[in-house]
Amino acid sequence: MDGSVSKVNPATTVPDSGIRVSDLTFAYARRPVLKGISCALERRAIGLLGPNGSGKTTLLRCLLGQVPLSRGQVRVAGHDMAVSARRARARLGWMPERGGVIPGMSGVGLTAYLGELSGMPARDAMQRAHEVLHYVGLADERYRRCEDYSQGMKQRLKLAQALVHDPQWLFLDEPTSGLDPQGRVSILELIRDLAWNKGLGVILSTHLLADVEAVCREILVLKDGVLLTREKVDGKARDPRQVFEVEGFGNEEAFRSGLDRLGAQVLRDNRVWLVTLDLDRLGGGDAGSGFDAGVGTGAILKVAAETDFALRRLRRRPVTLAEEFYRLVEA
Amino acid sequence: MPVYDRGYTHWQPSGGTTLPAWLVIARRGVSEPLKRRWLLLLILMAWVPAIVKGGIIYFKLKAGDLADLLGGGWASIGPDGFLSFLEGQRFFVFVLLAIVGAGLIAADRRDNGLSLYFSRPLSLVDYLGGKAAVIVFFYFMVTLFPSYALCLLAYLVAPGATGPDMLLLMPLRATAYCLVSGMSIALVLLAFSSLGKRSIFVMVWWAIMVTGTEAIAAVAGGLGSTGLQAVNFLGQYHNLGSVFFSTEPRLEVSVTVSLGMILVWTALALLVLRRQVRPVEVVS
Repeated sequence: MDGSVSKVNPATTVPDSGIRVSDLTFAYARRPVLKGISCALERRAIGLLGPNGSGKTTLLRCLLGQVPLSRGQVRVAGHDMAVSARRARARLGWMPERGGVIPGMSGVGLTAYLGELSGMPARDAMQRAHEVLHYVGLADERYRRCEDYSQGMKQRLKLAQALVHDPQWLFLDEPTSGLDPQGRVSILELIRDLAWNKGLGVILSTHLLADVEAVCREILVLKDGVLLTREKVDGKARDPRQVFEVEGFGNEEAFRSGLDRLGAQVLRDNRVWLVTLDLDRLGGGDAGSGFDAGVGTGAILKVAAETDFALRRLRRRPVTLAEEFYRLVEA
Repeated sequence: MPVYDRGYTHWQPSGGTTLPAWLVIARRGVSEPLKRRWLLLLILMAWVPAIVKGGIIYFKLKAGDLADLLGGGWASIGPDGFLSFLEGQRFFVFVLLAIVGAGLIAADRRDNGLSLYFSRPLSLVDYLGGKAAVIVFFYFMVTLFPSYALCLLAYLVAPGATGPDMLLLMPLRATAYCLVSGMSIALVLLAFSSLGKRSIFVMVWWAIMVTGTEAIAAVAGGLGSTGLQAVNFLGQYHNLGSVFFSTEPRLEVSVTVSLGMILVWTALALLVLRRQVRPVEVVS
């Protein structure tokens, strides 16, 4: 994930159910928060990553049409948010990080109330409120006043109110904030189910990389209001420079020369060789679809065979999303 | 069993009637306070003056003392009597609206409810309209609805003496006056509510606005200065009411001044609401 890796795709066409953002610029009281963001998103699970204050929540608010843009255009589900934000919001669900429950109401009352405000008939809203509260696991607690809910229950309630009107897109702002590990896992399971099995588009804003890895198919990385990159989350590595751990015995000089011919950087750590290969140079894939580590493994095996170097161990050192994210943000 | 095994299903609309967003907000805003028994008791107490006045009307009409009733004074059934009755309700207007209206926006701001509301397909007008309707409803509960009851009583007791005016013209006068004053008062109270996040502070500001300005006007009047009567908040509405009921002005300031003050308060309230009520709080 460096400068040569896929950048955002402003020109990509997306279906009407998707999101298209072009040159989005926004400032709070003259302080720029988002700077010229452009991207096109299909309806799928998308992670919005970035350090605190990078503009993640503001971007979601722009997608909801809650704030007037300084410049640029946002189209969500076929609606221009500068013109018909209200109509678009009937198809959008929003789970805010802070607050998000109205004290004095029961869980089912609040969910049905917000359903009605989304344009549902009262009876449908109440019926649907029961259904989504069952779905998020609050069936037994639905008649309790929501200010008495635990943090985990409040997060579930917020998810339920975002789902009650059956939106096409779900915007989730730090949905696992303040949850214990078990609660976190169950919320992530719900979100993953919605995105992967139920066809909802999900934008998950978080700074927890593990949440994104668990749920999302791709990520957008924001820093200081700028969209740094857009990546797919899959098993393939996104960085062409990959590190292999090699251990063996034999003609070390010849093996080293063979690796040099591949353009590898080699470090020795006692008996282990740390071999850094540039897969881009070896033709192991491309920036858009990721790099196949098998190409690097094959190249090292070939050099070892040619130089009579007996390998005891050869494995790629995994590059986690966290490593890539931090390297990108710190860069 | 993972919770999602219950399954998520897509909504199939039944084709039922959809209420406008402001009405949904108003319905909830009215029904929630009515669940409190002590608030119902307060509303009942607000009807005591109407019941007393109704009793007086009944006995006087029955006793044939019509001349007294058609004259001036609180107990009369003429326009002056009705405006006097509405003036007399100001204590209940002050208390009931403070209880019901103080938290309407403040609570939403405190709990980040505005973000929730404006993630739905509703506009600022829907939101404010719904909240204002709550205040107007409770305002009507202690002003307009008792007036209707009195009109009906007077007509039923002595239809010949009171004539169709009591069934048509007087309710129309009361409705027009209560609508104008109620909407303006509601916007001012909502503006106060939008300035804070705690109801108690809003109540304090509301008390200063209503009783504080009345006290200033009273003290100034006692000292012989009539100009300061223009700051009396509820007094200006009663003064303007003299136009609706075709009676003498209630204050020593002209009705035009009262109208001007009311317009200024209402415009300021709208400005404050436009600035304060938005889904995102801007800290500059």
